[in-house]
Amino acid sequence: MKHAAACIVLLVATAATMAVAAQESKSKPPAAADWAALAKLPDLTGVWEAPTVGRGGRGPAVGPPPVPQLTPTYAAKKHELDARNPDDTEAANCLPTGMPAIMGHPYPYEFLLTPGKVTIVSEAYQQVRHIYTDGRPLPADPDPTFNGTSIGRWDRDTLVVETIGFSPLTTIARNTPHSDKMRIVERFRLTGPDMMSVETTVIDPEALTKPWTTMRTLARHRDWTIREYICEENNRNFLDAHGKAGVNLALPAKKE
Amino acid sequence: MSSIARATRRALAVTAMICAVATGAGAHHAAAPVFDLNAEKTVTGVVKQVDWTNPHIWVWVDVPNASGQVETWGFEGMSPNFLSRRGWTRTSLLPGMRISVTFRPLRDGKAGGMFMTGKLEDGNILTSAS
Repeated sequence: MKHAAACIVLLVATAATMAVAAQESKSKPPAAADWAALAKLPDLTGVWEAPTVGRGGRGPAVGPPPVPQLTPTYAAKKHELDARNPDDTEAANCLPTGMPAIMGHPYPYEFLLTPGKVTIVSEAYQQVRHIYTDGRPLPADPDPTFNGTSIGRWDRDTLVVETIGFSPLTTIARNTPHSDKMRIVERFRLTGPDMMSVETTVIDPEALTKPWTTMRTLARHRDWTIREYICEENNRNFLDAHGKAGVNLALPAKKE
Repeated sequence: MSSIARATRRALAVTAMICAVATGAGAHHAAAPVFDLNAEKTVTGVVKQVDWTNPHIWVWVDVPNASGQVETWGFEGMSPNFLSRRGWTRTSLLPGMRISVTFRPLRDGKAGGMFMTGKLEDGNILTSAS
């Protein structure tokens, strides 16, 4: 009995310490040591883009990704959406794609490392992913968002990012909805001085019969900067209420 | 800009041709079902206007039709972001330039399409994958 009581006291004390630590990690300003510690991490900083086939041969050609295996319920949902939305996605109306598709665009990403956080700037649709690496846990029930809520940790040389809480406006793949149980695990690892592999696993026990894993290679361009991308600037593509795509061919007045 | 600088930039854009084609329709900001990706057509005319804008550039070209009237065609290219990293600048195409545009036509038959390559009078070729 004495032993059990001691254990309970210890457990309570440990839990209290962890809660305080998590709280402190959110509010404590970074010290010089925290900035110095960044230099010991794999250097993921800089502007990265997926090398496409034929562009200087900087990376291996990527074959078609494996197709997500859907549960009968979600296969039926996809079938219905394929029939109803034959043409296009809301991306035609400039809606950002959200996760996981935001990480698959033919546009660059800038990775920024600061104490307790990795920030990924996606040039396409001017999106930003905030990945907290300060030891905080994922919130139990975050509000659903396009890019979800992310935490990250370093598994030796690999940045492992876990993301939950996705808007129903995002999809696993085209016309493939997810459930509110969807979780995405990404593993970012340097494979050369300016090459990085990205392994993305989508886990959704309601929508998928098994986790769906895809691989992507990113190449670093030290001399690139991220450009502005305002999709609404001159978007002539549209998707009407029936999922039918169109294009506006009215010649605009030239603004000098 | 000097003519040498312009020629160099155009040469870069020619190099981009080899590279950009492979990305195909996947580089469009949406699925682009309005274009017939299996068809290819070419028209020749004079550049009327260039919109160096996101999410796509638009090149407007005055093309004489069969009855001799001038019709303005609209061609959607890739984005300034994509193209500026592959040899294009916002002055690669200017109003008044004669151009032969090879494009994926609009499925509805209207005067426009997806810009693939543009051959200029001096023989230089600008390529956009979109």
